[in-house]
Amino acid sequence: MKYIKQIAIIACLILASCEDVIDVTVPTAAPRLVVEASIDWEKGTVGNNQTIKLHTSTPYFDTTTNNIVTGATVKVTNTNSGAEFTFTDQNNGTYTTSSFIPVVNDTYTLEIVYNGENYQASETLKSVSDINRITQSLEGGFDDEVLDVTIFWDDPADEENYYLVRVLEVGDMFPFLEEISDEFINGNEIDDFFEKDDDADDPTEEFNPGDTVDISLFGISERYHNYMQLLIEQYDSGGDPFSSVAAEIRGNCINTTTPDNYAFGYFRLTQVVKESYTFQ
Amino acid sequence: MNNQKMKQLLLLFMLCTSILSAQESFTINGTIKDDKNGETLLGATVFLKGTTNGSVTNEYGFFSLTAPKGNYTVIVSYLGYQEIRKDIVLDVNQTLNFEIKEVSTQLDEVVITAEEPERVSIKKPQMSVSKLNASTIKQMPAVLGEIDVIKSIQMLPGVTNNGEGTAGFNVRGGAADQNLVLLDEAIIYNTSHFFGFFSVFNTDAIKDIKLYKGDIPAKFGGRVSSVLDVRQKDGNSKNFGLTGGIGLISSRLAVEGPVFKDKGSFLIAGRTSYAHLFMKAIEDVKDDKISFYDLNLKTNYEINKNNRVFLSGYFGRDNFNLSKVINNTYGNATGNLRWNHIFNDKLFSNLSLIYSKYDYQIVLDFIKLDWIADIKNYNLKYDFRYYANEKLKLDFGVSGILYRLNPGEVKPTDPSSSINYLKLEQKRAFESGLYISAEHKLTDKLTAQYGLRYSRFSRLGGQNIMNYVDNQPVVYNSELGIYEEGVEAGETFYKKGESIETFDNFEPRLGLSYQLNESSSVKASYTKSSQYLHLLSNTSAVTPLDVWTPSGKYIKPQLSNQYALGYYKNFKDNEYSLELETYYKTVDNRIDYVDGSDLIGTNTIETEILNGEARAYGLEVLLRKNKGDFTGWLAYTVSKSEQRTFGGKAGGPGINKGNWYNTPYDRTHDVSLTGIYKLNDKWSFSSNLVYQTGRPVTYPNGQYQYEDLSIASYSGRNDDRLSAYHRVDISATYKPNRKLNKRWKGEWVFGIYNLYNRKNAASISFRQNNDTGQNEANRTAIFGMIPSVTYNFKF
Repeated sequence: MKYIKQIAIIACLILASCEDVIDVTVPTAAPRLVVEASIDWEKGTVGNNQTIKLHTSTPYFDTTTNNIVTGATVKVTNTNSGAEFTFTDQNNGTYTTSSFIPVVNDTYTLEIVYNGENYQASETLKSVSDINRITQSLEGGFDDEVLDVTIFWDDPADEENYYLVRVLEVGDMFPFLEEISDEFINGNEIDDFFEKDDDADDPTEEFNPGDTVDISLFGISERYHNYMQLLIEQYDSGGDPFSSVAAEIRGNCINTTTPDNYAFGYFRLTQVVKESYTFQ
Repeated sequence: MNNQKMKQLLLLFMLCTSILSAQESFTINGTIKDDKNGETLLGATVFLKGTTNGSVTNEYGFFSLTAPKGNYTVIVSYLGYQEIRKDIVLDVNQTLNFEIKEVSTQLDEVVITAEEPERVSIKKPQMSVSKLNASTIKQMPAVLGEIDVIKSIQMLPGVTNNGEGTAGFNVRGGAADQNLVLLDEAIIYNTSHFFGFFSVFNTDAIKDIKLYKGDIPAKFGGRVSSVLDVRQKDGNSKNFGLTGGIGLISSRLAVEGPVFKDKGSFLIAGRTSYAHLFMKAIEDVKDDKISFYDLNLKTNYEINKNNRVFLSGYFGRDNFNLSKVINNTYGNATGNLRWNHIFNDKLFSNLSLIYSKYDYQIVLDFIKLDWIADIKNYNLKYDFRYYANEKLKLDFGVSGILYRLNPGEVKPTDPSSSINYLKLEQKRAFESGLYISAEHKLTDKLTAQYGLRYSRFSRLGGQNIMNYVDNQPVVYNSELGIYEEGVEAGETFYKKGESIETFDNFEPRLGLSYQLNESSSVKASYTKSSQYLHLLSNTSAVTPLDVWTPSGKYIKPQLSNQYALGYYKNFKDNEYSLELETYYKTVDNRIDYVDGSDLIGTNTIETEILNGEARAYGLEVLLRKNKGDFTGWLAYTVSKSEQRTFGGKAGGPGINKGNWYNTPYDRTHDVSLTGIYKLNDKWSFSSNLVYQTGRPVTYPNGQYQYEDLSIASYSGRNDDRLSAYHRVDISATYKPNRKLNKRWKGEWVFGIYNLYNRKNAASISFRQNNDTGQNEANRTAIFGMIPSVTYNFKF
């Protein structure tokens, strides 16, 4: 439904406006721990190898990326079975395990000890449907003159389902992300298209025949859907007047030692299907 | 209503002792019209020379005044018009109709002196009201030459909006949905065309506008911030006339003339944009269409001396079609049938039957979705004015409004669509009002205006209402520090005719005016008002698709209290006037939206909102020059507007940790200068200057990497500000030589908006550059320097 609101933005851009990059002084908050604990189980694999990334937040315009977190202890527990998985510090901001056992609909907890403070999160692993097919067209999407790619999958009718789609063109720096709820489309075959903007200066910018995209479809929890919805909306809009008022996005990682020092990021567990598609 | 009943009513008013005074008095009543076109004049004064006894014409040009038996000279005046004097012998009740002439009959389109309604009224207790008439608005520079009522009122103190290209306006730190906007008494739910670039009022069809920023008369109710009362012209009752204009954005044409054997008149005015015609010729945008049009209609018929009927209507539409992928239309439609009846020389009445509708439709071809939402209301009201005696005038009346709201209906546009049909619950409500108010001259120097409005709002059944565990639609998750939807506990169906929830409120209104001397006065007022309909918008800009929702089980009516104090002075023989006003306003039950709320396509809005409060205070200064070749005004406002939203029943600290935060319409300083200079009969010039503190916004205070993207973290709500907004506009009006006997009169208006091409930030968005990955601040500026030319004509 957020499409509807974005129409207003498009209208304004078309009418009369100009955009330029300016220098703005913004406030700086104290750094926080950022948890990118994405336990993604690719369908058809055993899912033993998992990585958790830790770093700290930086001032908004900072370009340095020397903010990785080392020396933390990271542990995930399956609360249904009691199985514990310890993640090993690789001293580069990542923590890994090769013995993880994913179980759909089981609940897991994450425990991190960093700088003497305890962080905790809890999440349930969600399943996902297979991708039925992937198609390309000119006519779909917003613009009839550029290629778009559409993926199709079946939504189970008997439950509420939430999805995250990630599309990354090989060679690009940034993925497209889109969160989807089956609220208006329950039980149907869902289609979701991606299209890159037509760029008059650089025709290689849009999708062209020969380009390859990596597509991931994740089954996610409702709360993670809500988190990603806000995150994506704020990422895309960056505080323009047609989006909801920008606010801190709270994930599910709490600090049990000092609650005000909660962490950014999310502890998610998903099942994922991945496909590559090359434009004809 | 018989006299006995009337007196009983009057006894409710403790102060009304004067009515019982026994002196033989007689009454004069009548209407005042423009000599040339027969338009009734509102706000003209009728005075008995050598006394303090006078009357001001109402919305229909009607006046009545009562004085002891004797010989008098009646003086009829209206600034910009020639004064009329008439000697009378008052020994019997009588009707006197006056037709007065404009001062400069040859150049009637432009009246350089400010009209009477714009001057300070020293004696009347009414305060916090701003008036502009169509001819003043037409002389002010406008963006792209498109004359705009909503933009003109923003040149007055205490009125702002959220920047270019956003709809609505904000009065004294209030939200846009807190303004009651009336066009010939019909509610206008969306005041803008082109998503806010232009307003829906065609100035060719408008006679007069009044903006009540406070001290709202008891006859108005339903909004807590202001009332914008726009009145359409009746149409020329003497001659056929044609007015129009050709501009860059739109063209206008109005036809008016007498009908029904001079017993009535009509006006038809149309306006349409035509940018889409040019767009067809441009290859890149030939499939796009952006257009709007509107149509104003009015006619009236005088049945006899005491009865007159009016029919007026408005229909406006916006179309926005982008590459056949997005098709978007919206607009207002209104109709009003009125009956003016004069019961006797002291009692004037008006009965109105009014219909208003606003609808919004969008078809998104790429996801095969068709979305429609609308709001309709039927309104019956009966208003009376009783000119009891020279010291006391009474207004009273009743009204009832039936609302039907369709908050949204989603349809798939073809069978291959993955969208399921969905219709949100239809909502119905009935709002009724009963009021009485008095304008009472207590002494020669002290006048009071006091009244009471009783309002009642019933949310009607015929729909399901969701229940929640512990009656908590929103629950605070203390672990994560966020607000989440409550746990649903089944729906309750309310039958049609059943009331889901009923609210009622007594709304006292009080105004006092004390005249210090002939040219200065002080006034004070108190207004309580309630608002039962709310516009849901979690964005800082109001957009056409924002949905109205009625109060009910989970949303309480907004209640406001406003206190205002003012000082008024005319000096140099009324050449200048000064108004100083200060106000303090509180609003209870102002809802705000929890972080990450999603308001579209949901039946359960209550799970996204928390109940809060707002307050605003400020000082307004308005200095006007009313006469001479140079006229204009300087407006300055210093103010504060903030709100606070606790967690309440949901628990937790609330929004922004329960601290006060700036509303998006908080402006510390707001300066507007408007000047109009008449050089000679051919040339006149005008200019606007605007300076405003930047709009409150929320800036990022950090970033972190997530899913390979740089995600911003944010500080407290509305803690930061855009840079100040300022600009200067100029325009010149040229009237070619005219022969006196020639009916065709034309004029050229040349304008430059934003003369020094200031890039005022409409918004600053913070984004990661797609090529470099570097975070950037992107400023969006809407209007740079824009020249324009318009040709206006009159026949």
